[in-house]
Amino acid sequence: MSTTISELDKHLVEFAQLLRDFGIRVSASEILDAMQGLTLVGLEDKHHVEAVLEATLVKDPNQIPWFQEAFRAYFASPEAQKAWQEHSEKQAAQWQEKLGQTRKELRFQERDLDLTEEERALYAQLPEAEKERLRQFLERSSHGMKSGIPVDHAFQPMVERVVRGSLEYWRRKLGEDFPILPPGSFDGVHSEVEEAIRRRELEFLSQDLKKISPEDWPEVVKLIRRLTQRLASQISRRYRADRRRGGLDMRHTLRANMRYGGTLVERRYRSRHMGRPKFVLLCDLSGSMLKYTEFVLQFVYGLSSVVSGIETYAFGEGLVRLTEKIRSGQSFQDMVQEALPAARGEWGGGTNLANALETLMREGAQVLSRRTVFIILSDSQTLEGERAARYLANIRRRVREILWLNTLPSRRWTEVHAVELFSPHCRMYECYTLGHLTHILSERLG
Amino acid sequence: MTGRMTLEEFEQALEGAGYITEREDRIAVTVFLAVQLGKPLLVTGPPGVGKTEIAKVLSQVFKAELIRLQCYEGLDETRAMYEWNYQRQLLKIQMQRESLKEEDLFSEEYLLPRPLLKALMNKEQSVLLIDEIDKTDAEFEAFLFELLGEFQVTIPEMGTIQAMQRPIVVLTSNGERELSDGLKRRCVFLHVEAPSVAKEVRILRTKVPELPERLALQVAKAIHILRERIALHKAPSIAETLDWAKALLLMGREDLDPAWVDATLTLLVKSEEDVEAFYREMGAEKLLWEAKSLNAQGASMREGHHHEHHHQ
Repeated sequence: MSTTISELDKHLVEFAQLLRDFGIRVSASEILDAMQGLTLVGLEDKHHVEAVLEATLVKDPNQIPWFQEAFRAYFASPEAQKAWQEHSEKQAAQWQEKLGQTRKELRFQERDLDLTEEERALYAQLPEAEKERLRQFLERSSHGMKSGIPVDHAFQPMVERVVRGSLEYWRRKLGEDFPILPPGSFDGVHSEVEEAIRRRELEFLSQDLKKISPEDWPEVVKLIRRLTQRLASQISRRYRADRRRGGLDMRHTLRANMRYGGTLVERRYRSRHMGRPKFVLLCDLSGSMLKYTEFVLQFVYGLSSVVSGIETYAFGEGLVRLTEKIRSGQSFQDMVQEALPAARGEWGGGTNLANALETLMREGAQVLSRRTVFIILSDSQTLEGERAARYLANIRRRVREILWLNTLPSRRWTEVHAVELFSPHCRMYECYTLGHLTHILSERLG
Repeated sequence: MTGRMTLEEFEQALEGAGYITEREDRIAVTVFLAVQLGKPLLVTGPPGVGKTEIAKVLSQVFKAELIRLQCYEGLDETRAMYEWNYQRQLLKIQMQRESLKEEDLFSEEYLLPRPLLKALMNKEQSVLLIDEIDKTDAEFEAFLFELLGEFQVTIPEMGTIQAMQRPIVVLTSNGERELSDGLKRRCVFLHVEAPSVAKEVRILRTKVPELPERLALQVAKAIHILRERIALHKAPSIAETLDWAKALLLMGREDLDPAWVDATLTLLVKSEEDVEAFYREMGAEKLLWEAKSLNAQGASMREGHHHEHHHQ
């Protein structure tokens, strides 16, 4: 066996490493298979080369788009690769420059402020007037006086808190619409693959539902259909597999033991089926939640074949039942138009989960049973948190499980007091992408 | 027997056996690879796109016996691999109570080979189809490792049995359950999607030669719209497309029209829920209208595969 590494070996190993970087597990034996396959099929036809590599290195349909993009980028012309490299270096440089600029601007008594990269990036995106206001604040407080004595650097943590508070305010105000993520990889081929994938369907799985643009909806709806079909067949399989042992089944026992000449060696038991769950969905109708509600409804109704019924309610200030409207095939927009006045009440008060839960327990108590999986879709921003938590605890005792799909990213949960109040009574999940939703339902519905 | 074929010859042989492939679907090259490398082929994809058919056609191409193991939940080695013939063993015990040795009872004579063992013990090469592997439990999958990796099985009472002739192994999965890494690593992988319009026309023309080309194209386009644009629980399979085409032919149709779509819809859409979805979301008239405006070449085999990418 030759000890020198051929060009082909080198490329294969490098390509496998690229796939690994995107989460595709490639073992040494698979690289060997790929090598043998290429020797067999030849390198003349790029299409065949791609087919051989896909057949040997990829083993999951979900990974195919990643593979295709990686193949395209890795085996692209040197000119294209050079252009990607320059592009990603330029982006990285711009990002660094932006951060560097904030270091110059955000200072207290000539010292750097202790801020995260994300906070700095957010600052860089603020309107110029707001930036100026923050800079002036820092300037003034740097030369400020307290009880006639000039302030010293001991005040820096306090100043940092004020700056952070202000940035936090702006993040909410901007509705997190500004992408404040660092540029992907600094490597040209890597960032090209990441960017291409972002443009493809797969990205929808990790994209905030609220940010999916209207022209992408048909694609997303198709994706939801595929996801729910797959999930439904998984779930129905688990219900079949999940049989608790019942009493001894004499007939099957005798039959199974015929082979031992009638001596009872093995016992057979009756199986006990676990009933299908019933979904009760409670969706937040506040403005920022509408988009999520629409997608989650699509998703959950895609599972209707494996549950024994879905009851849907929406809440704002009060509670509205949507089950009939959905059954009659009304469009989401019309439904919301009709439901909004009722849910929001006459006074235009804020979102109040406590009221909704109270009404639900009073008027819809029959839907809350041991078979019920109670799903709440809300960002947990509600009035009367304590009262709502008490009702939630009460409902918890009646149902199989409460799943809270929280559209607020989990890193921000500490900022919302209600999350702390509700979490002991439910399983709370971060849920603002289709990926989250698929993962949660497939984990919980077994 | 499988040794001396080139890829081109293999492609021709597939076509000769009535299995239509396209360059884009990569079926031919991947199957060729699995056969030549002597590795099991794992085929995934939605139901009704011709996964099982691959094994059947391989048995035809290589003139090898097709041995099929249909998987289901709870399948175990006594059904899949081997079972001892208890009745015969009992009889033997009764007859030779005194002089019997244990190894007399555990010999090939008392072995009932099930499909997997049958494929290994076959003197001629066979095609072993392990259909819907995702329906079995994870333990059964682990139990297959020895067979798929080394083409041998170990029977505790008898020792290891090596394959006399390595079978061509085809596993299929509808993706109901994630398969283990161990299994996937041992296989060559092929993902099959529903055929493109052009490919389905070719399939129709091959399987139903009397069907006029014009009608074949209309049928293929309508099926494509049904699969892609309506939220059906079960999209029509290739077999159902063929049934539909045959029915239309039988009734002397030369063109599709809404009334005939309505009349024959149940050949394609087979649950009440899906029929409702069809009429709610589309209906026969719109289906034909959309099919008419569909560009045959535009509907690609693998979604996103022809995705053109322009980067500055």
